[in-house]
Amino acid sequence: MNTVLFTKELKRNRKNTLIWTSIVLAFTLMILSIYPSFSHMGEDMVKLMSSLPEEYAKAFGMDEATWSSIIGFYATYYGIYITLLMGIYTASTGATIIGKEERDGTAEFLLTRPISRGSVAGTKLAVLGALFIMVYLVQTLVAVIGMNLFGSEIAWDAMVAMHIHGFFLIAFFTATGVLMGSFLSVKLNYMGPIVGMIFGSYFLNAIASASDAVDWLAYLSPYHYMPLTLEQGTLEPNLLACGAFTVLTALMIWVGYSRYLKRDILG
Amino acid sequence: MNIIETHSLSKFYGKERGVTEVTISVKQGEIFGFIGPNGAGKSTTIRTLLGLLTPSSGEAMLFGQSILENGHELRRRIGYLPSEVDYYAEMTSRELLEYHANIYGLENVGEKIRELAHYFELDLDRKIADLSFGNKKKCAIIQAVVHEPELLILDEPTSGLDPLMQNRFFELLESRNTNGTTIFFSSHILSEIQRLCDRAAIIRGGEITAVEDITTLLAKQMKKVRLVLESDAKVELPEGAQNQEWLGNKVLFDYVGPTKDLLEWLGRQEVVDLTLSEPDLESIFMNYYRR
Repeated sequence: MNTVLFTKELKRNRKNTLIWTSIVLAFTLMILSIYPSFSHMGEDMVKLMSSLPEEYAKAFGMDEATWSSIIGFYATYYGIYITLLMGIYTASTGATIIGKEERDGTAEFLLTRPISRGSVAGTKLAVLGALFIMVYLVQTLVAVIGMNLFGSEIAWDAMVAMHIHGFFLIAFFTATGVLMGSFLSVKLNYMGPIVGMIFGSYFLNAIASASDAVDWLAYLSPYHYMPLTLEQGTLEPNLLACGAFTVLTALMIWVGYSRYLKRDILG
Repeated sequence: MNIIETHSLSKFYGKERGVTEVTISVKQGEIFGFIGPNGAGKSTTIRTLLGLLTPSSGEAMLFGQSILENGHELRRRIGYLPSEVDYYAEMTSRELLEYHANIYGLENVGEKIRELAHYFELDLDRKIADLSFGNKKKCAIIQAVVHEPELLILDEPTSGLDPLMQNRFFELLESRNTNGTTIFFSSHILSEIQRLCDRAAIIRGGEITAVEDITTLLAKQMKKVRLVLESDAKVELPEGAQNQEWLGNKVLFDYVGPTKDLLEWLGRQEVVDLTLSEPDLESIFMNYYRR
């Protein structure tokens, strides 16, 4: 890893990361801050829930636990907003962090310095990892603080399981972005395909949860293997899926990295 | 020792030709010209030497080592000036040059950067996005030379520079070359090659058509002959004469062939007046392209 390049890349991504982190934190705090209003409604919310179509509630992982504890409430929206937003940010950064130099024409400058391609790609992927972990940890910390502020007590087991699943899901999306960036033209705007992929994954799982007739669709979505919502107020980490996702994520990163080593840099 | 050496180097972009079977060698301390029109394969050759493109076949060596094995360490000894300058728009020239120096692990180069910027009249504190093409080129020249490389690879280096800056740039190159820097100078401006280079390769359609000393290139090539004879009678011109034009007892023709043969033929004529003019490189260039 090249420390000069690492510092430069962190600086280069500073503004974008700050914007996305602010959005993610704003959503986190907004979700948690509105929980007290719902919880004060007590029985009224349970009645409201029972009036919702069952398929709708299932699709978005809502049940009585959603309203009875802050962790249940947070879990529902963690899947809908937080993982989607963080996934879009890290996957789009993953898709462009290497290719951006080619798109902007600066690859010629960088790759004619005494740094190997492997070091350039490795350093950029290390920056991507650092940004991902930083945003992930800050969001987790703010969620914990927010739950303390707006809720009574935190169900730590469910919280840890949910955030472990969130971590592997977002890492998977990030690696998909890296892979996409290594195969597609550097001139392409990746945001559309990335938003499509992440929203598509989420809604495939939501549709499958809503209807038994198409429940097989869930197998196509990473959300199925990494559930984020609570069932009966609890959530257990799916360690087998975590292992499989680690292998898949590493494989995609390796393929993206290998392709970059051999790619012709055209002027 | 050869600083640059390629053997049958070819690069194809899919089925499209980049360069084919390029074999050249550049000696230590030499200023080597690389002449060809746009699209001839000059930049492809350079980008392959620098590791930006992977050769389809053949071999390329810098400082006696394969570019495929230890390219990044070899690049430490090279300064590269690209034809198109695309640098980080958000940086100032100073930031870019400091970034460059940091990558090379250079220390205390601030003064040297300032001196070079003063020499080329470059404002170091302006953002690259706000620089004209000429000023970007000046920044590119400074980054190419500031680490005092053993080999300078220059791709169309003077584009965007005004004549005054071109002259300063040439003086800098001559001074660096005197101190032992080898220079690979790619251009389609032949007067630049004529001024600076010891030898030159001519590339056309991705293939090297000639590698010659500049003086040999000039000597072997076409001469313009203007002759006034005693009588109006047309005489048979020597073998190698082209484009003849008779005006009474005057004849104008281009001559391609050994100078000795021309002199022998002239000795047999009743010559009143004779003008032999040396061709410029432009004529040589066109002559090679006609082949």
